[in-house]
Amino acid sequence: MMATTACFIIVSRNDIPIYEAEVGSAAKREDAAQLHQFILHAALDIVQDLAWTTSAMFLKAIDRFNDLVVSVYVTAGHTRLMLLHDSRNDDGIKSFFQEVHELYIKTLLNPIYLPGSRITSSHFDTKVRALARKYL
Amino acid sequence: MDPANTPLGRMLLDEITPVVMVLHTQLVEESSMKNGLSFVQMLSPFANFDNIDVPVRTASDQPYRLQKFKLRLFSASDIRQPNLEVAKERLQQVITEAGEKDFSELCLDPPQIDNVLGSSESEILPSWFQYFDKELVRTLSFSDHEAFDHPVACLLAVSSKDEQPINRFVDLFDTDKLPSLLNDGAMDPKILKYYLLVHDNQDGPPEKSTKILTEMRNTFGPNDCQLLCINSSQDGQIEHQNNPWASYKTDATSSQHPGCFLDMDDFNEIKDFMQELSSTHIIPYMEQKIRVLNQQVSATRKGFRNQIKNLWWRKGKEETLDAPNGQMYTFSSIESQIRMLGDYAFMLRDYELALSNYRLISTDYKIDKAWKRYAGVQEMMGLTYFMLDQSRKDAEYCMENAFNTYLKAGSSGQQNVTRCGLWWVEMLKARDQYKEAATVYFRICGEEPLHSAVMLEQASYCYLFSRPPMLHKYGFHLVLSGDRYKKCDQVKHAIRTYRIAVSVYKGTSWSHIKDHVHFHIGEWYAFLGMYDVAVTHMLEVLICGHQAKATQELFLRDFLEIVQKTGKIFKVLKLQLPVVNLSSLKVIFEDHRTYASPAAVSVRESLWHSLEEDMIPSFSSARTNWLELQSKVIPKQYKESHICVAGEAIKVDIEFKNPLQISIFVSNVSLICELSAKSDDMNSDASDLTTEVHNDEHHNVLSASGDVISDGSSFTLSKVDFSLGGGELILVQLSVTPKVEGILKIVGVRWKLSNSVVGYHNFESNLVTKKIMKGRKKAKNSSNNNMKFMVIKSLPKLDGFIHPLPEKAYTGDLRNLVLELRNQSEFPVKNLKMKISNPRFLLIGNPEELNLEFPACLEKKTNIERSSGHANPNNAPHSVYQFPEDIKVQGETPLLWPLWFRAAVPGHISMYVSIYYEVGDMSSIMRYRLLRMRYNLQVLPSLDVSFQISPRPSRLKEFLVCMDVVNKTSSGSFQLHQLSSVGHQWEISLLQPADTSFPSLFAGQALSCFFTLKNCGKSLVSDDKVSSLYPVLESDVRLSPQNSNDVLFYVDSSPLADFHNCERLHQGVSLKEDPSTVDLILISRSQKSNSVVSEPQHLYSHHSCHCSITSSRPVSWLVEGPRIVHHNFSVSFCEINLRMTMCNSSDATVSVQIDTFDHPCSNGQLIDTTAPQSAVSSGNQVGWHEEPQAEDIKVTSEVLASPVEKPLSLESVPPFIWSGSSCTRIQLDPISTAEIPLKICVFSPRTYDVSNYVLNWNLLPLNDQENKKERRQSSGICHGYPYYITVLQSP
Repeated sequence: MMATTACFIIVSRNDIPIYEAEVGSAAKREDAAQLHQFILHAALDIVQDLAWTTSAMFLKAIDRFNDLVVSVYVTAGHTRLMLLHDSRNDDGIKSFFQEVHELYIKTLLNPIYLPGSRITSSHFDTKVRALARKYL
Repeated sequence: MDPANTPLGRMLLDEITPVVMVLHTQLVEESSMKNGLSFVQMLSPFANFDNIDVPVRTASDQPYRLQKFKLRLFSASDIRQPNLEVAKERLQQVITEAGEKDFSELCLDPPQIDNVLGSSESEILPSWFQYFDKELVRTLSFSDHEAFDHPVACLLAVSSKDEQPINRFVDLFDTDKLPSLLNDGAMDPKILKYYLLVHDNQDGPPEKSTKILTEMRNTFGPNDCQLLCINSSQDGQIEHQNNPWASYKTDATSSQHPGCFLDMDDFNEIKDFMQELSSTHIIPYMEQKIRVLNQQVSATRKGFRNQIKNLWWRKGKEETLDAPNGQMYTFSSIESQIRMLGDYAFMLRDYELALSNYRLISTDYKIDKAWKRYAGVQEMMGLTYFMLDQSRKDAEYCMENAFNTYLKAGSSGQQNVTRCGLWWVEMLKARDQYKEAATVYFRICGEEPLHSAVMLEQASYCYLFSRPPMLHKYGFHLVLSGDRYKKCDQVKHAIRTYRIAVSVYKGTSWSHIKDHVHFHIGEWYAFLGMYDVAVTHMLEVLICGHQAKATQELFLRDFLEIVQKTGKIFKVLKLQLPVVNLSSLKVIFEDHRTYASPAAVSVRESLWHSLEEDMIPSFSSARTNWLELQSKVIPKQYKESHICVAGEAIKVDIEFKNPLQISIFVSNVSLICELSAKSDDMNSDASDLTTEVHNDEHHNVLSASGDVISDGSSFTLSKVDFSLGGGELILVQLSVTPKVEGILKIVGVRWKLSNSVVGYHNFESNLVTKKIMKGRKKAKNSSNNNMKFMVIKSLPKLDGFIHPLPEKAYTGDLRNLVLELRNQSEFPVKNLKMKISNPRFLLIGNPEELNLEFPACLEKKTNIERSSGHANPNNAPHSVYQFPEDIKVQGETPLLWPLWFRAAVPGHISMYVSIYYEVGDMSSIMRYRLLRMRYNLQVLPSLDVSFQISPRPSRLKEFLVCMDVVNKTSSGSFQLHQLSSVGHQWEISLLQPADTSFPSLFAGQALSCFFTLKNCGKSLVSDDKVSSLYPVLESDVRLSPQNSNDVLFYVDSSPLADFHNCERLHQGVSLKEDPSTVDLILISRSQKSNSVVSEPQHLYSHHSCHCSITSSRPVSWLVEGPRIVHHNFSVSFCEINLRMTMCNSSDATVSVQIDTFDHPCSNGQLIDTTAPQSAVSSGNQVGWHEEPQAEDIKVTSEVLASPVEKPLSLESVPPFIWSGSSCTRIQLDPISTAEIPLKICVFSPRTYDVSNYVLNWNLLPLNDQENKKERRQSSGICHGYPYYITVLQSP
């Protein structure tokens, strides 16, 4: 079962989005992208509060806007993997985050990739989308 | 913190206070209206007591003192539930007014977010929020499920002018006119009444009134009546300090001060009256009521038995009654009484008592499922907890419970939800729980956009005030609120919120957010007609490459629309559409180095340097010459700037990129330049000059900001228009041509987007290292100077091109070209020199060749004396060609000069030609200039020619030549024309009969043919001599069909010979003719095409140089003698003289030993032993004749060799005898011949094969050549050739 709406975004430690993907199965709406960005951007405040209260990387659903929920995974380097979704599937989301985290680490190991810069690798993109289909 | 001092506490003390219902006659109202105030308004300011200091004793025995107290006065007609629609309209009006008020500052730049964070709450929060919230709360006044809005007392006021005032009092409290609350049983109509007689002093002295008062006291009781005299002032000029009615001023006409007829006495009288009313009537009445009710409640509800009974009773009732809104509780019901008890206690600040009653009733309501009442009680419980400053958790729980219960109650509860939420928010705010407060605000924004807009905005401020500030949320909620404001047409408010949001999101890299905010605020500003501000915001969204195509179109269209509406042309610094790629910036300018084509510009400077080294005057001397001059002319600071010439364009290459998916139209792309003209006064000292230049610069900066083109008196600019498709990249070349001397500075580039917006981009502002192609290295350290040029006065400049130089050619293609040089100026240039980088490809011809017809000029003409020697002295490779001294290029007449072109090798070839010339005008800074030309050409492989030469056996100085030709083209076909040997010592002819014609070679075909080559000797004699001595020497072979009338070409004349020399140089080492090598030239022509268009037939020459004729055997010999001898053997044996001519073709001395054998057996033995060797040697040395066989059957070569010789040896059983010595040794000098006499004796007539001799040769190494010759065989054995002599018996 795939979430009808899901927006995945990786935010660098400087609050700059370095990867964005609409991974929902719903037809893409024109204004959805900006709403998703707004919600995720606003959720950064909550992440900031919560990230230091727990040692877990997966912060579960931390914020919501109407029926859209924001789940966050904070890496050790304070890169935040944020997922906006409308389905309740904590386990799937957790697995998704963990696998994407692994992918992200692989990207970091690329000597040409400058940490904190935009991830433009199409390989990364396809992998993330595949994971989204698998887990969300 | 004292809860009473918090905003919520103050609000509760303000709002939850006893209500006094005012009933008055028309005359009372009229009297008070003289002051511009209604009667209620007149009394209201005095109903607020800051220090009433009244002892209160409620249910407990402990009295306490009440300090602050307030009564709310309402006229009876206002005591009803307010009309929602009216309230809404009023709210909307409030908001609209607030929007107008705040709008003036919206045109300013958005505030810095840091400033916002630093400022206090009251500074940021719009003041009308509080009013708005209060109004919202008030929409719920006088609801029936709460008791605190129910009037506690009733004030009846009758004027002394009224007739029969006593009756009027009675009439006033006519139940029909009373508010519905009292009539429908929600509250007890039997309330405290107080009778007030109002006397207007303007109507006369109050004597009559006192009489009425006495009457009243008799009728209604002595304590409940009072006389109030007002309007004591006669002139109405009284101005009160701290006017208590100031807030009502809007109601009055502007000329009148509120309360202008009320003097100090009236003022005090009203005050005293109100104080008395509250302290001696209302408060005691409430105390008493509380005590009574408490007793009742205790009797019926307190205690275990009562509770069980109550529970039992309610259970039973539940089954019977299930009204949707809960049942109606009348004032007499115990539930209403408990609620009233709680509310009264709350109003008298006995919160403990209030709380216990609320608790009691809340369970009842819950069991009754009277949800609205339940929620109301919960709400009050929460507030009571808050006022008690106890258990925060309980307070919040109650508020949340109330909130949710109201929500559950459906749409009718919306107002309650809002009020409950607002109180809850305030409660949270009072405890600094801003974050939670924000979520509550978010929850109370309902369907209605205006309402939710305000709530969302308040929520956003909560996020801002929370510690640490949650700016992300702040921004988000501002945007949400702005959208709602826009939805209900409050554009100004929408702009206000977005404007702050802009500052929050400033510099964000969340592209969609940035676009959304800027686009909408831009649109709204445009909606209000503030196009300038709108444009600045719209500019931000132009780079929206990440957006969908439709969005990009929308953005761009709206942007252009707004720009058009402004009615002016916008100038935007660093307009991002299209994107200027500064790193692509390339400046091309010409000082003394000029370029014939753009291709020549991109060549590395060092390459030109190496080419021009010999040509330009020796560096040091030249430098002192013109640098000295220059230092006089140029101010110090410009010494490092580049030099350009007036009238000559400086070109700037720059890349534009369209970041969008839609196409954009860009026009009028041009450079922005400043040219500060040099003052005429050249003799003034440098400092003067600099200041002047500086001033000029200033002046020009101003004019440049106006319109550059109008500045065109001093320079002209090129303009380019183009349209860029989605994502396209375009490289634009812009140019500026200075017209006068001075300092030219290229400031930036400007363009016009869609004919409406002018964008410009300064080069200096960006510190990207610029790639100045031709900049001197010195100048590169400062980027400022890179774009500065010293313009010197105009100089002659040569333009040159070579035509018709092909772009593609087959290898060997030979053409004549013309170099054309033009000088547009009237000043002549002279002293021309030229150098060509690839002499193999391009040669300089003689001027007389200019008009010759090609290729006819190459044809052999027997009768005409050749015009020049075969080597043109111009074309000594790698040397500078100096044009004749008298050649000057000037004005309109171009200089034409022939060039010869030959495509020497396949591949991509760049040819560089540099022409040096001196400027006639000596006063100029530059003495000389250079014209650089570059031509690229692609040479395709055509014919692949290879030669194999081997000595022809049994011939002296004759060789067999095998020519293999392969056509390597893909489509071209060639007709072989001629094969020529170079030099006059060679004679070449076809091996086959002369009438053999060769077919033309089509693509991929190969051809082999054979020639004999003959050395005629005399090689060391000079060529001219040879030619005169042997004019008919056949050094050429015609290969074309005989019937064609094509003439042979003369390979010794200028172009071919020159190219040949180059080839020789390239393929070999020296120009020296080596007798052991031969140079061959194959000339072919392109096959005549069948097409009608008569393309000139191309001529191709293929040069093979240094084809070695030497074999591994340095010696060759020839045995000569009679072939048939008649001899009478009866007389004697026959002696035959033979002559062996031996030739040494090597360059070393050879010692040769000739061994002769008489015995056939020894001969046979020798053959046996040497057969393999000879076989091998035949393979190596005999040449092409036996080559294939040798390759195929190497093993059988012995078999092959022996039949040739063995039968012969067998046949010669009766041998002949070599006479003379059997061994002769001679020494042969290099390249020399020697004759050796030989003699044999035969004894019978027959045919003899004189081949049984062996030559043992041995190279005598020379000292200096030792190394070279090592690879060559140094000694060897050669067997004799068969030579048959037939001896006949003569008669």
